[in-house]
Amino acid sequence: MALLEVKGLSINFGGLLALDNISFEIDKEQITSIIGPNGAGKTTVFNCLTGFYSVSSGKILVNLDEKTFHLEQMRGDQIARDARIARTFQNIRLFSQMTLLENLLVAQHKTLMRASGWSLSGLLGLSSWKKAEAEAIQLAEEWLYKVALIDRANDVAESLSYGEQRRLEIARAMCTKPVVLCLDEPAAGLNPRESAQLNCLISEIKNETSIGIILIEHDMNVVMEISDQVIVLNYGCKIASGTPSEIKINPRVIEAYLGEPDPETGGLNK
Amino acid sequence: MSHLVSGTWHVHRSAIRDGLLSCLITAVLLIPLTGIYTVQDGGGLALKYRIWELILSIIFVFIGRFSLSLAESGHQKLSICGGLVLFLAGAVLSGSHVIIGVIGILGGVLIVLRSLWGSQSRNFTGSLERIKKLIQNTNKQWGLHLSLIMVLIAVIFPFLPLTDRWILDLSILVMTYILLGWGLNIVVGLAGLLDLGYVAFYAVGAYSFALLAYYYQLGFWICLPLGALLAALFGILLGFPVLRLRGDYLAIVTLGFGEMIRIILINWVSLTQGPNGISGIPRPTFFGLEFKRRAAEGAETFHQYFDLPYRPIDRVIFLFYITLGLVLSAHFFIKRIRKLPIGRAWEALREDEVACRSLGLNPTNIKLSAFALGAMFGGVAGTLFAARQGFISPESFTFIESAIILAVVVLGGMGSQAGVALAAVLLIGLPEWFRELEQYRMLCFGALMVIVMTWKPKGLLSKRVPSVTLQNIQKTRTGG
Repeated sequence: MALLEVKGLSINFGGLLALDNISFEIDKEQITSIIGPNGAGKTTVFNCLTGFYSVSSGKILVNLDEKTFHLEQMRGDQIARDARIARTFQNIRLFSQMTLLENLLVAQHKTLMRASGWSLSGLLGLSSWKKAEAEAIQLAEEWLYKVALIDRANDVAESLSYGEQRRLEIARAMCTKPVVLCLDEPAAGLNPRESAQLNCLISEIKNETSIGIILIEHDMNVVMEISDQVIVLNYGCKIASGTPSEIKINPRVIEAYLGEPDPETGGLNK
Repeated sequence: MSHLVSGTWHVHRSAIRDGLLSCLITAVLLIPLTGIYTVQDGGGLALKYRIWELILSIIFVFIGRFSLSLAESGHQKLSICGGLVLFLAGAVLSGSHVIIGVIGILGGVLIVLRSLWGSQSRNFTGSLERIKKLIQNTNKQWGLHLSLIMVLIAVIFPFLPLTDRWILDLSILVMTYILLGWGLNIVVGLAGLLDLGYVAFYAVGAYSFALLAYYYQLGFWICLPLGALLAALFGILLGFPVLRLRGDYLAIVTLGFGEMIRIILINWVSLTQGPNGISGIPRPTFFGLEFKRRAAEGAETFHQYFDLPYRPIDRVIFLFYITLGLVLSAHFFIKRIRKLPIGRAWEALREDEVACRSLGLNPTNIKLSAFALGAMFGGVAGTLFAARQGFISPESFTFIESAIILAVVVLGGMGSQAGVALAAVLLIGLPEWFRELEQYRMLCFGALMVIVMTWKPKGLLSKRVPSVTLQNIQKTRTGG
């Protein structure tokens, strides 16, 4: 049974069919990329998965060991909390006036809230709460170290550069201990070096944890290099899916998105 | 001096030009505004003219602008002379023309300061930087010492020689506003929900005490938690309809809520006695001992029990300590809750609600908890207010109260505990202090707010202290 199953997902914005009968599956320890031209509905898929839009029809299932969740019936915060789907945003959404460490602690709200006895034992300063807080800080520290931001831990998120903010957002999503991580154009606006670092980070997350990663990306070098599966959308429809090497030579994908290979470079246009 | 004058003639010329231009603007503004006034003359109105005041004002403006321009271009001596002339002229005139005189004195002082500042601008900014660094480097220990000293002063305050009943009463009022400010600060400063009807919770606290005392003869100490609880309940009640609103829309609905409560209090005459208000609210007792001259049948008063001479001020001193205790506990409570996940969630909600949802935070619960806790402090403050006054009516809970509480929060710096306390002292304490200024009091109040907000747009103490910091960063890094 796949980790995440999307079956016949459709969404309608007042007559406009933004997604038309999309189905796909995501396994754990796999990177799935969603590609397609602008307006194809890539981010809409994310918004459906994470409960920001309520779907018109179709099913989204998350199969965890203990339970199966029907995401189409859940609110966004429930999806993040119970079904454990974390996401980043195309236009970075950090808590900009708060420090990096605080950003990562907010992500562990569920655990911390329970440990603080819904603020009661926290107010009294019981040792169980102190222990939980120390653990949460420990986890945040680990992730700050992984995204190479540990020496900025006490700075406000606003003061980070664009690439650093992207990395922090990924770290924040990972601090929720997700089973599926949705990355919405993580490489947008990064320079080649930062983009290469990001590739390493995503591969590291894939190798070290057993989560499924979904990626929306326009940089075909990134997509083809790290994906296990590629899904191509166009005008709200899925036009192809398969391994990167299959997608590269798929005529429908080339027509809709990739374009003809440049005869001079022999590579991809994009 | 003559060589100096000829050598820098162009500078003087531009200063004179500035001065004349300002004169022109002043004349244009002042001729209709103050130059002409109307008097009752038999059946109709007649125009009268303030020629001398007009001329004096224009001359003052000329001297002021001229000296300022000189100060800006570095002609220290002349500009100081100008400032002194203005100062002296103001002092002479303050006997006959108070306002012009005061403006002259203030303007003169400002110009002298400006020219002194201008001549040592580099040193001055340098020393400012140094002071800033010093403050930053001052370790926590000093902050702790300072706050301990402040608390000690507050504790011995009622027994200081300068303290009289009026000052004590005023400080209770200021502390009540500190409580209100801190409560609203949770909603506006931390959770970022603009609440223009905060006075509603203040009213709920005050009226719950007054009504419970009136109908059920309950005392202050039972009504204090009950008032807080009821206000929190009303906070949740307000919270539900406004969950989906943000910014301006939220402000409008909360404004309406504040007015609703007041209008209900006015019109529900059978319960609240309407605009007549409720009097005879019992004063707080010291473990059942009243602060009266004569006790009721079979009871003892405070001074009888401790065998002290009767002093009416004892009651005020006692209320002062109750308020101080509540303010201090509120401080520790809020300080603590800010470091808990709920406090961080409030701030995260203020920063980005969408991101909150994507991390599994339920915005509904977070907003409701902010409204409830904020309202709770309003309720406590309301109970205190009723206990202080002994009489309350809906008139005390108008929109202007909400506006003042909001001004306290904004002026102090959103989210800053110390800032709100400072702003409460400034906004509530000073206007009472300057009652002698009579009708200029509110003018000064407005001017003060404008000055502070231009000087510090984010509030007096707006620096946000992180709820948690990572120590030994270097160690972590080398330790891997």
